[in-house]
Amino acid sequence: VDVADPAITVDAAEVRRAMEYYADRGWTDGLPVVPVTESYLAEFLARTSRAPGDVLLAMPQLNRALTVRLAAINAALAGCRPEYFPVVLAAWESLAADRYPPRGIWQSTTGTAPFLIVNGPVRQRIGLNSQGNVFGSGFRANATIGRAIRLGVLNAFGLRPHELDQATQGTPAKYTFCIGENEEESPWPPLHAEFGLAPSDSAVTAMVIRSCVHIEARHTRVPEQLATDIAGTISRTGALIHETISAAVVLNPEHARLFSRAGWSKDDIKQFLYDHAACSRAELAAAGKEAVSSRTRWRLPADHPDALPLEGGDGPVRVLNSPGAVLVVVAGAGNAGVSAVVETFGPRGGPPPMTRIDSAASAAVSSQA
Amino acid sequence: LADGILLERAGLPAVSICTDPFALTARAMAKAYGFPGFDYVSIPHPVASLSEEQIRARVRDMMPDLLRMLGAEGME
Repeated sequence: VDVADPAITVDAAEVRRAMEYYADRGWTDGLPVVPVTESYLAEFLARTSRAPGDVLLAMPQLNRALTVRLAAINAALAGCRPEYFPVVLAAWESLAADRYPPRGIWQSTTGTAPFLIVNGPVRQRIGLNSQGNVFGSGFRANATIGRAIRLGVLNAFGLRPHELDQATQGTPAKYTFCIGENEEESPWPPLHAEFGLAPSDSAVTAMVIRSCVHIEARHTRVPEQLATDIAGTISRTGALIHETISAAVVLNPEHARLFSRAGWSKDDIKQFLYDHAACSRAELAAAGKEAVSSRTRWRLPADHPDALPLEGGDGPVRVLNSPGAVLVVVAGAGNAGVSAVVETFGPRGGPPPMTRIDSAASAAVSSQA
Repeated sequence: LADGILLERAGLPAVSICTDPFALTARAMAKAYGFPGFDYVSIPHPVASLSEEQIRARVRDMMPDLLRMLGAEGME
């Protein structure tokens, strides 16, 4: 051990003083943040060819914008290493391409969180977890990349709770929610290859989500049974605010192999879920959600003055607008029949917001690693 | 609240209406728009689950405040 290493000889009281300073200024999600100096910031900005003043996400309704420099400051505050920064940038670009964040979803009572899915070789380079405990804690890259986005939302846009963030309850995912796809144990092409990128590319897919619902299905070897369990989870009435919903189905490798051994592709799963994620009219009516509003297409009872006349008879009502409203991702350990439905916000369908990670920046990571 | 401020700045008399639990956000939004003292009507919560008659009652109750802020008192 080098005793001259400043990490060892630093005055701990000074470190605490710096941490308290940031907390007092409100530049935190409640957990301690890492102090940021101009020289440390420069290490982050060196990882991108983009100018510090480039705007990544603008919210004209708040008269505020997040620049590359602000993204770097908040990534450093969050505890990211500089080599994570290209992933953070790609995440911001994907969130800017999602329809909800620029339109003010983070001021909404719904209380959505950013959800990031990382694909490609960058996962190994930065140690991003895609295996056991993938939604849990314990991995710096997952913990701090997701947090970098949330700190940017709090600090750059001022979207703080009890101020401009009006979330009724929010979600624990608002601390951080960043996973890698477990491509190595997936029987199918990875998410980014499914939407046109090369498997050797790295990419970040980002959407806003409300909840992450867990599915226990350890008992079955029958793909239709497993898919029916997932469809039943997707179609819970409590998730329905709009006419339809959307979902990222995160299968663990054991469930993914169960499907693939039976010859199911990702598209087969999506088609099955589109056909079977449905509620009976009676189930919807019991929850007062059988009709939709003529103005907002939100669900409400048939006797509401804004309700459109009911269509389609007494048959089941689909809760997905298309097979494309479902994404299938493989993540977690292949050690039990446990998967999850991540409830992405909004009806969706079509390619998800996805950004290829800047290869020049990735090269910088390799050469300096 | 932002809409009310923008309409007023465009020269159109406007009154913003929020329910009581949104007071903190209303103040934060007014501050973000450089108009920290912006006056608005605050009414009881909720609205989304009210019947048509209850909605009408809410409107009747807020009308004096609304007209006062528009500078149109006594024109009911």
